[in-house]
Formats: sequence, structure tokens, C-alpha cells
Amino acid sequence: MEGRNVLILCEKPTAAERVAKALDEGGNPQKREIGRVPHYVAGRDGKRLVVVAALGHLYTVAPSVKDRNVFPVFDFQWVPRYEVERDARETQIWIEVISKLSQEAQEYILATDYDIEGATLGYTILKYACGGKEKEAKRMKFSTLTTGELEESYRQLSDHIEFPTVEAGTCRHFLDAMYGINLSRAMTVAAKQWSGRYAVLSTGRVQGPTLKFLVSRERRISSFVPTPYWGIEAKVEINGSLYEVEYERDVIESRDEAQVVVNECSRKKGRVTEIEVRKFLQNPPVPFDLGALQAEAYGLFKYMPRRTADIAERLYLEALISYPRTSSQKLPPTIGYRAILESLSHEPRYEKLSAELLRLRELIPKEGEKHDPAHPSIYPTGNLPERTLSEPERRLWDLVVRRFMAVFGEPALKQGVKASITVNGHHFFIRGRQTLKEGWIVFYRPFIRSEEVVLPPLEEGQEIEFKEVLREDKFTKPPPRYNPSSLLRKMENEGIGTKATRAGIIDTLYNRGYVSGERAVVSELGLDIIDILNKHCPEVVSVDFTRDLEESMERIQSGNEKMENVLSKAVNRLTPVLEELKKHEDTVGQDLSEAVRKARMQQRIVGDCPVCGTGKLMILFSRRTGKRFIGCTSFFKGICKASYPLPQKGSVKPAERICRTCGSSMIRFKMQSKRPWTFCINPSCPSKEGRR
Amino acid sequence: MKCKICGRRTESELCKLHEEASKNLLKNYEAWKKSMNVSWEEYLKEIQKNPFAGVWAKEVAHHLLVSGFANEQEGLAKDTEMNK
Repeated sequence: MEGRNVLILCEKPTAAERVAKALDEGGNPQKREIGRVPHYVAGRDGKRLVVVAALGHLYTVAPSVKDRNVFPVFDFQWVPRYEVERDARETQIWIEVISKLSQEAQEYILATDYDIEGATLGYTILKYACGGKEKEAKRMKFSTLTTGELEESYRQLSDHIEFPTVEAGTCRHFLDAMYGINLSRAMTVAAKQWSGRYAVLSTGRVQGPTLKFLVSRERRISSFVPTPYWGIEAKVEINGSLYEVEYERDVIESRDEAQVVVNECSRKKGRVTEIEVRKFLQNPPVPFDLGALQAEAYGLFKYMPRRTADIAERLYLEALISYPRTSSQKLPPTIGYRAILESLSHEPRYEKLSAELLRLRELIPKEGEKHDPAHPSIYPTGNLPERTLSEPERRLWDLVVRRFMAVFGEPALKQGVKASITVNGHHFFIRGRQTLKEGWIVFYRPFIRSEEVVLPPLEEGQEIEFKEVLREDKFTKPPPRYNPSSLLRKMENEGIGTKATRAGIIDTLYNRGYVSGERAVVSELGLDIIDILNKHCPEVVSVDFTRDLEESMERIQSGNEKMENVLSKAVNRLTPVLEELKKHEDTVGQDLSEAVRKARMQQRIVGDCPVCGTGKLMILFSRRTGKRFIGCTSFFKGICKASYPLPQKGSVKPAERICRTCGSSMIRFKMQSKRPWTFCINPSCPSKEGRR
Repeated sequence: MKCKICGRRTESELCKLHEEASKNLLKNYEAWKKSMNVSWEEYLKEIQKNPFAGVWAKEVAHHLLVSGFANEQEGLAKDTEMNK
């Protein structure tokens, strides 16, 4: 293994191991460690390849002014993460090791993920840890971590890393820091000046507009006033079986009118006046991009978008699926459809399905419109798991495999039947749905959610008896709440955030306490934050403004715009916003402090007071001893004396549920390094008898 | 000034959120009256227990019932007028 030393830089340790195994001529690279940092030494073409991984980003963008009370700050630079982030201490040893290994190298290859983040993190490491090697480094491009693709990628090295992508990535980091740090500082400082208390308040370039979508929906739901309307529920008997039929009008405005329909149709005989049979083809679905995979996994398994992205990342690192952070819906033939299907056929459950596709003379995938220049859509590599997958991993892999197969399937042939039945001048419809030829559905069957309705034979003029006709009292409904999946889709449609960042931004909204629950409910704090930002700086929660910046970054990536111009435009737009916030610091601070105080109070409310019936039970502190207890909100006014003891150590917070035994509110108690414990606040609850 | 219902700082009787709900209450009363033939007070009581009514709409309905505007629709109209 003598000759030139080549340093190959990967994004994650698992990827480094795979790259080293693929490139070592014997397939058995040596694993070494410096500190706790693993790296691999492989030999190929007389060269000594040293493959080392980063831990994601090792550098971050930070303001030159470190004092958190100072804003605006527009002077930002790349710095090691361990210098500015408390939970990133581990990155120091990684930077030192990469730096040491780079000194022994004569050639450099970047093998991080081929996307905007992969390119940017690689660039910062090459520039700062390796001592300015970003211009001489070559680039490996791949979409899967399979041996074949990695070898090919090494043979076809690019002469340089993708600089326009790096510029776009750097610009995104600078913009996010500029907006996030300045606006969050402005809000936090204003609140602290007013109340003297510190509270973490944040907004950001994408976070603000996303919260605004949620707030706008929340306002519509919370101020919604339903109006009554009526419908008709009817059942007819055909050949001894009962079938539901639809009335011609979905909405009847008055109860009397609905009652007339009931009276005129109940127990009457109608006639089939028309039968429409419609055959149609249902095309296969298109391949998965990340957003579509996240939406499908949420719909089928209720996995949050972030969880799906994490599982998909693990499957990618195990070389089971292709790179998941893609927005492509294309499957180029170069990925080798047949080879993938042949490999998958070794898995018993895909054997027959693969064989069915392999029998076709030509494999042509049904593709979607979306294209990603860096990667194809998500597809299985054909590799089979080397270990037992966890249930979520197995489900997601199965979903990707079956979707891949389904896109090559023939369209399904379906039949819809709609028969019109007339009774006393009123028209009803009965509908049937049936699949005549399954086509692609064969491959995707476990994930199909539509039901078949097979109708009995019907003919025009046939007499039908109405067995049951009922008036349905209904109300108009508010718009549905967003869930993490529909919110992600909304962000995607509005063109804000990227496929890599959207799930994280949704998580931040939950972590900050702006939103809670699976059906996203906006908290008072979330409502107030948007109200305050709308009042003082509407531009920072404007979707148009954020989208405009996203488009500018896309232009940088395609080489049609310069980072300096975009940053300077952003500074020009942000400066007056920050000046306005500073000018109204008192009002903003008062509004924010009140919002925070209300949110803190809300977090202490345990439930309704069972004694007075009007107050709320909340965590209170004794004015005499300072000890905490649960008492009614009227406790200190002397109106209601309801109180319950609390443990004085550990953290307590409302569990937001009631005791099944006695119906009292419950709290969640946690001591450091111990498991949390949820219990009923009522000391006389029968459920506690065993413990007494 | 503080919102009579939630205590948010506001320049009128109700904050923007409750004002929006009260406008919706007033706007939809006609539809209820026409189809259900209910009085203003019955309407407010119905809204309070309706599962599809928003929480702010319920709060406004409750506020009107307890503040003596339950018998006259003008009560809400008056509130809305004052907020303009």
C-alpha cells in the first residue's frame, strides 16, 4: 500500500465504512481509530485511500458579535461548531483528526451526500480543517451506497467539487443565521427588557411564514360558527339485501323541506331510470420523492415526517435504498431496472412479483413531473438486508420496494356504476366501484386504501323498494387542522424551505411550544408571536419574501446569481425591520412578555376545579413556605380552598388526561435520571390503595 | 384596554380574535333563524354546545349570555359597532 495517500471525506461513519469496503481491492479495509474517531485504510490502484467521516456539519455560521443582547449583526463567518454550540463538543476531536489525516495526504476526494448540504459541509471541512484544499479536491457522485455504484463513482471522479451548489448552500446558511439570530435576539431582548426575565423566543426565515399558515388556519377554526343543514339517509332493498343510496341534493337548507322528502319517499317504491357504466384506467403511482414518501408513511403508518426521513436515511446508509433527500419523480434507465428486480427476487415475498415484471419485454416506469438534477427518485438498490430490520425500517423498505415495482405495472382497469332511482319525483343514486383488472395494484396491494362496492345486477325500469328514509341533521364543519404531513405538503407547495429542512422546522415549532398535538393546535404563544410580528414587521412572516429568497438561492445554484447580491438584498430588507422592532421595543417587549407569562400560566393548569366548578386547578406556590401544591385559581382569593399535595423534588407538569378510576386530573412527575411517572392528583383515589 | 373575554390588550371591547368570532356569530344567525326558527338566546345556547363551533365563538356566545345581551341581537351588534 505504498504510493500516494488519498483522503476521502464522507458525511457519516456508516457511509465511510461502506465507501472503504467498496473501494478496497480486497474488500477488507483496515479500521483504525485516533481518539474516538474511526477511519479506514484501503488500497486501490497502488494508492493508499484513507476514508474518514465527518459528523454532519463540523462548522457553522456564527455572528462576530457574541453578546446575545446585541442586534442587528450582519457580520457572519464559518466557525467550528464546538466553539459556539454547547452540545457539539465532540466535533472538536473530529476536526483535529481530519486535520491530521489531511496533512499526510497528497490527494483529496469529497464523498459526502451529493446535495446542497453535503457539498457545503464538505467544502467547509476541506477549506478550514484541511487547510484550503477545497479547490484541488475531486468529487465522487453517487445516489446509492452499493459497491457497484461507489466503484463506478470512483472511476468517474469529477475534477472539482460543485462550487455553485456550495455558494447556494453557504448563502442559505448565512441568510438563515442572519434572520434567525437577529429576529430572535430582537424578540428575546425586548421581552427581557420589559419583564426582566429571560425566555427563549424564536422565529426565522421559514419558521415565521410556516407558523403563519398554522395561525391563519387556527383563527378560522376557532372563530368558526357552524350553520345547520339537512341531508337524507336512505336504504333500498335489492334482491333481499340493503344498499345505501345518495339523495340528489347534498345540502337541504330547511328541516321542513328535508321532512317533505322523507314523507314522500319512505316505504315507497321507486324505479331505476338510468344506469351509467363507466370503465376507466387508473394509472400507476409515480416514484417517491422525499415529500411523497413522508406523506404516504404518515397516511399509512402515522410516522411523523422527521421520523420517516430518519428511517429512510438509515436504509440509505445500509445501501438498501437510494439517496432519500430528493425531489425527483424520475427513474432513469441507468439505475438498471432488471438488475434491481432480479436481486429483489431473492427475497421470498418479492419473488413472484419480481418474476411478473421480469417477464415483460420492456420495463417503462410511470414517472412524475418533478426533476432533481442531483438524484433520481427514491428506489430500492436491490440489496437485501444484512441484519434484521426493525419494524418501522421493514415497513418503509417494503413501501419503497412495492412502489418501485408498482410504477412499472400496467394501468388498473376499473368500473364505476351509477344507477339513478326515481321515487315520487325525487332522484337517488346508487354507486358501485369494482376493479376489473388489477394491473399495478398487484404490487402495491397492502397499501391500497379504497374499498370495492359490488352492486347486484340492475336494469332500467326495475322496481326498487325504499326501506328506510331518514332526515339527517347536519352542521357545516370548520376547515381541517394541519397535521405534520399536510403542513409539509403546504410548505412544499408554497416553495418555502427545502426537502432537507422542512421536517426540522416543523419540529422546532413543536419544541418552542408554538404548536402541539398530532392535529396541529396553535398555542396562545404561537398566536401572539404571529400577531406581534404581523403588527411590527409583517415582511418577516411573508411567504412571498421567503419564496423570493428561495428562488434567488436556486439561481445561485444554477450559476445565474451571485451570493453577495442576495445577501446584500436581504440586509437591505432586514435592516428597516430590525430598526422598527428596536423603535417599538417597549410595546413589543410588553406584548411578548404577556404572551410568555400567559403561556407559562397555561403550562401550569392541570384541569378544571371539581370543588367550585368555575376555577381551574393549577400548580401554585405557598406564599408562606414557597412549597408547591395544586390549588384552585381562586385559592389565594380565599374563594375556593381546593388543594392537593405535590412532591417537592423533581419536575411536575400536567399530564393532560384524567384518572380512569376517579376522574381527577393527572400529572406527570419526573426525577433526574428516573423514568417519568404519571399519577392522579387525588390522594384518596382508589387506584392508590395498594400503595398506602 | 383589555379584551372582556380573554384579557388580551386591545383598543376596543374585544380583541381581534374574539371580534372575528363575534362577527361570524352575527353573520350566521340569519341562517339559523331561517332554518331552525330559533331566538337569539336559543341560538347562543346552541352554539355553546355545538361540537363544530370554534372555541372563541363559544366564548363570545357565553360572554353574551352572561352579560345580559342574550335577549337582544342588538347586544352583539352594539359590541361590534363599538369595536369599529
